[in-house]
Amino acid sequence: MARTLNGKTAPDFALPDVEGRTVRLSDYRGKKFVVLVFNRSVY
Amino acid sequence: MAQLRQDYEQFLARGAEVVVVNPDDAADVKSFVRSQALPFPMLVDPGHEIANAYGQEVNLFKLGRMPALVVLDRDGIVRYEHRGGSMMDTPKNSDVLAVLDRLNAGS
Repeated sequence: MARTLNGKTAPDFALPDVEGRTVRLSDYRGKKFVVLVFNRSVY
Repeated sequence: MAQLRQDYEQFLARGAEVVVVNPDDAADVKSFVRSQALPFPMLVDPGHEIANAYGQEVNLFKLGRMPALVVLDRDGIVRYEHRGGSMMDTPKNSDVLAVLDRLNAGS
């Protein structure tokens, strides 16, 4: 059973995109909602 | 992903960005992203550190990772989460857009 994150602060992260640019979750803080999708792309 | 791309404008119109975290290496994903002209950030997490931090489940029998989707408000608080029970179990775009409408109405 996965633990729930509902109502909690999402863990911040910095990850590269496919072009090598780093994206931080905190970049969106105070600006946008974020729909964070965990999936393979190749479906 | 094609499904997300289809409604991407609708996500943007609601003040949201779609960010995809992919478990594969950048090299494997890059050509796919280009061929599909995916407009949203496609991040790569081959070490699965971030996926694990978010509790993405692994299907041990299929050696794959279950899809998961979370919606964060502007303060970075998780306001919705969907954890797939199978590889193809993802929420409909309309469900996620409805969540964003609710958040917009409440803020």
